[in-house]
Amino acid sequence: MHISDGVLPTAVALGTSAVSAGILLWSLRRTPADDLPKVAVMTSAFFVASLIHLPFGPTSVHLLIPGLVGALLGPSAFLAIALGLVLQCLLFQFGGLTALGANLLMMGLPALLAGLIYYHFKGRGKKQSILVGALCGGGATIFSALLLALLLASGGEDFIGVAKLALLAHVPVVLIEAGVSAMVVSFLLKVKPELLDIPFVLKEKE
Amino acid sequence: MSGTLQVSVLWLLPVLLLPLAVYSGLRMLIGVVREEQGEGERDWSVPQIEFAGGKSSPVHRWDVRFKLASFLLLAFLMVSLQHRQTAVAALVLTLLGYRVAAIPWRRGFKRLLGMAGFLSMFLLMLPLTAVRQSNDLVLVFGGIEWLGFNLRGLDLALLIILRAAAVALLMEPLLATAPLPVTLAGLARMGVPQRLTELLLISHRYLYVFVHEARRMQIGMDVRGFRKSTSLATLRSIGNYVGMLFVRSFERTERVHAAMLARGYQGSWPQPLSFNVKPADYLKAATLIGCGLLLVICDQYFVG
Repeated sequence: MHISDGVLPTAVALGTSAVSAGILLWSLRRTPADDLPKVAVMTSAFFVASLIHLPFGPTSVHLLIPGLVGALLGPSAFLAIALGLVLQCLLFQFGGLTALGANLLMMGLPALLAGLIYYHFKGRGKKQSILVGALCGGGATIFSALLLALLLASGGEDFIGVAKLALLAHVPVVLIEAGVSAMVVSFLLKVKPELLDIPFVLKEKE
Repeated sequence: MSGTLQVSVLWLLPVLLLPLAVYSGLRMLIGVVREEQGEGERDWSVPQIEFAGGKSSPVHRWDVRFKLASFLLLAFLMVSLQHRQTAVAALVLTLLGYRVAAIPWRRGFKRLLGMAGFLSMFLLMLPLTAVRQSNDLVLVFGGIEWLGFNLRGLDLALLIILRAAAVALLMEPLLATAPLPVTLAGLARMGVPQRLTELLLISHRYLYVFVHEARRMQIGMDVRGFRKSTSLATLRSIGNYVGMLFVRSFERTERVHAAMLARGYQGSWPQPLSFNVKPADYLKAATLIGCGLLLVICDQYFVG
């Protein structure tokens, strides 16, 4: 779910834009210059994946894949999501110009966290990798739903009902997301395991 | 006027159907638009940002840096409006921009549709869940106390929708009046890291390639009898589909990258564009920002 223009209080819109810009610069710096075109092309692939709709009972949900983006791109995930969101805003008006920072925080932070968790806990076994992949996919979606609710609720107590509804709407997404993430990880392990070694990541400096 | 107003429980029906009606009405209208264009069943097409054809209007001739800065500022001014009257004025202002830039209405309409789902959530929920204050007018249906229809909530939802529409409609005069590379070069001149704008250009370019690829894979699955349902088998097929999309795109990135290196790519692109500022650029920027400020001032001191 993308926050559109006109929903957030102006102070929140400006604040989240500033914080997002900061993290974006960090993410840009953590991405080696040689890998930039690769990140850009992968971004288009993620964008296309997010256009896929899956039926869930009577409704359908579309994939968000923040967890997978994090697992595949590591620190560059924030950059990739920024590019994707700008494109979605420019092309489809999903999310608005003034809410870009808020949307970026909402999708980018969970992706970074999922990347970190996947990187540290994927282990060597196939089963564990798939399980961690599922947890990252589902967990990142829960995290971003919570951030969305928090951002919506920042409009004042009138918005708490809407925030609750938005949270509720993410329940099916979390399930689908965890399932698809597990399946994608298992597929990639079979077909091209080197993709999951966070190919674009810089060596951890710490 | 404030207090609670008891009305028959039957009134609940139109109130609950209102957002649904708005949403499905929009869907139907876009369906009509699509049929006009003669598109098939599943719409995979990604709309173009750029304007086809070289139209000339005051907005087209505007220096792109001034245009970007003015529109961005105007967008933030517009979302800070607090009253419905000024938000309507903002909407009229953007519609005026459409006339000046000679942009087809349909493009703006598609943008509104992009937000329709999200905004109908506000239209449904805000009247029902807005906190009741002492001077609110609340409609209570047939004595069901907890399900009050708060008119202040409806007002708030309408205000949000108006603001969202005004800013969303700004996007077309902003983006469709210059080729995307020019807009991005303008952004780079304004201090956005050049690497970021180049990345945006590459992703935008490959987007269409991957949409094409995804459609080919989708057709392959359809031909083999794949039907989406809520089942584990669907999840597995979609997982493989997405995974394959990633593998193919990754392999393509390697080839693209090698091709760029072979053509002398060294981490940045040459910037052949040059900008020259004319007095008219300042004048247009001043007019636009002046309008925005006027709206905010009216909103703060004269309305409500």
